Amino acid sequence: MLEFFKEGLLQFLSYSGFGNCTWGHIIMICVGLVFIALGIIKEYEPLLLVPIGFGIIIGNIPFTDGLQVGVYENGAVLNYLYFGVVKGFYPPLIFLGIGAMTDFSALISNPKLILIGAAAQFGIFAAYITALLLGFTPMEAGAIGIIGGADGPTAIFISSKLAPSMMGAIAVSAYSYMALVPVIQPPIMRALTTPQERLIRMRPPRAVSHREKVLFPMMCILLTAFLVPTGLPLLGMLFFGNLLKESGVTKRLANTASGPLVDIVTILIGLTVGASTQATNFLRPASVLIFVLGAFSFVIATASGVLFVKFFNLFLKGDNKINPLIGNAGVSAVPDAARVSLIEGQKYDRTNFLLMHAMGPNVAGVIGSAVAAGILLSFLY
Amino acid sequence: MKSIYKYIFTVVALFAVTASFGQSVHDLRLNEMMIKNEDNYADEYGRHVPWVEIFNTAYNTVNITGCYLTDDTTGLARAGKKGGEIPARWYRIPTDQKMYMPQRSFLIFFLDNSPLYGPFHTNFTPEKSNTRYIALISSDGKELLDLVEYPVELRDTSRVFGYVADGVRDNKAFKKGIRASGELNFLSDFTPASSNETEVKISKQDKLKRDDPYGIGMAIISMAVVFTALIMIYVMLKIFNYASRRATMKSKAKEEAAKTPAMAAATGTKADDEAVNGETVAAIGTALHLHFGSMHDEESEVITINMPSKHYSPWAQKELTMKRNPRR
Repeated sequence: MLEFFKEGLLQFLSYSGFGNCTWGHIIMICVGLVFIALGIIKEYEPLLLVPIGFGIIIGNIPFTDGLQVGVYENGAVLNYLYFGVVKGFYPPLIFLGIGAMTDFSALISNPKLILIGAAAQFGIFAAYITALLLGFTPMEAGAIGIIGGADGPTAIFISSKLAPSMMGAIAVSAYSYMALVPVIQPPIMRALTTPQERLIRMRPPRAVSHREKVLFPMMCILLTAFLVPTGLPLLGMLFFGNLLKESGVTKRLANTASGPLVDIVTILIGLTVGASTQATNFLRPASVLIFVLGAFSFVIATASGVLFVKFFNLFLKGDNKINPLIGNAGVSAVPDAARVSLIEGQKYDRTNFLLMHAMGPNVAGVIGSAVAAGILLSFLY
Repeated sequence: MKSIYKYIFTVVALFAVTASFGQSVHDLRLNEMMIKNEDNYADEYGRHVPWVEIFNTAYNTVNITGCYLTDDTTGLARAGKKGGEIPARWYRIPTDQKMYMPQRSFLIFFLDNSPLYGPFHTNFTPEKSNTRYIALISSDGKELLDLVEYPVELRDTSRVFGYVADGVRDNKAFKKGIRASGELNFLSDFTPASSNETEVKISKQDKLKRDDPYGIGMAIISMAVVFTALIMIYVMLKIFNYASRRATMKSKAKEEAAKTPAMAAATGTKADDEAVNGETVAAIGTALHLHFGSMHDEESEVITINMPSKHYSPWAQKELTMKRNPRR
């Protein structure tokens, strides 16, 4: 009888998390806890960091293989939820929501700001070149480079196609840096601008008519998707969502897309991407390199945006000049990057409100990163 | 006004250029052919007849309906004219869903003089022809899209002839009626409906690694495409801006016109000196607000009416019998 109890207890222990725990699991659980803490205490992108952090904890609870509980095990519930990440259908749904939330008025009223969104995409390709030099394959390098677009759904979409084995690391890296935008960008912005440039006041944006807002998504999808059809899932959903918002006759659909739908998909994508970072797959030297390259691409993207504005200003006169502090917003971390522009601008002039101006390049960055993703796919996929 | 036309012209030109590059029959090639077919590729009826393979070299779908296949181009100039007769040995490719050739795809046509056998069977056969070429002609009958002259041995031996590298043609030389050396040849392998390049193909990724090891080329092209896409949107937004400015100017002009006494009399509105503008209304409103505000005493408490916060829940609805007590 005693032998039976002993054997049963040992068997139970071998199935429990305690029996299968490794240092890797513990490290990853700590990473998950840090993400949750950053989200709750520091309020850095809590809508993303809390689900991802909890997902990391879920994904790193040690268990015996074959129980159909892990995200990579066929038939497991988490595996079914992860399907949307693997097949890349969560990111376009998130883009639908982003489209339904985004107001492109700032961009429509000052079209030249769109070019900043294009310049900031250089971070993606700088990271691509560096990743190639470090020995990554072109597909892996492309997936790593997209972190510089500062767009989580795009990073997941591209990495699920080009480098599925690296998707966890790339997604976590992209979302981490997006959350750290207020920490990463200001020093670069300060280093690349002069005190006079930071004081530039921009002309207030004009009022944008309803007709312009309705025409914008339709014209944009035609122009961009004809040029880069591979970006269609992202661009199509982004502009469709925006049309729902701006048409004025589909309020219910726009509310669903920008509310419950995007919330549901954010929960699923955050949780499953977090759960995909199992210690065995995640704790590798390549992951460290991905994080380093991700930071590098973010820095280059920010610097490219700021430097492009400075260059652009050489050709602009009077109140047409652009404050280079909105150059950082060319990355597509909406609206955090624009908020950073506002905060930095107000440090030097409390009456200079750059938020609406920065929203122009910020939303242009969303379009730019989706176009860049399409190009990467057409070259590498 | 000129600038709006400039922007509209740019957008239209961009679309026109893109469209002209899309769906072009100029991308078609007679990639591979076999004249003496003894025991090789068979048609859907099991017959071994001469065949030719058309290859779409483009990266988009091309509709080949209406193009002509022939082994006799003598009527080319005549057929292209209005009301010109189509020569007897020209086979017009019929309308069929299969004639939409996807990017980099192949189609086989049987040159068996049996057009009733189906859309892929021509009305001529090169076996007893006086000429030694197969030609592909545009649907308007004016242009030679491709013409492959084959060696006489092809009629006597069961071999295949065609482009050594799939559809790769020196277009300048072709327009002059000559062929670059080594472009066409007997092919070592018999590959109907597939690539003529039978050597081990390197993957897209390896090719990229080989041709652009540092990724600089790709980075330059990609940035150029990103800028092009966003510049196109920029041009579109400039048009929006222009139109919006014009609309504002028009409405302002209307307002100004309404202010002149003559127009005011005509439209029934008050002239400028009598009209009450928005600022005046705002000033009067503010003065009244301040006046009535100052009439109040200092109140220690404010009584307001708040709706009780009672959230709807079907579980609390008696009419839905959710909380009905069980009957004894």
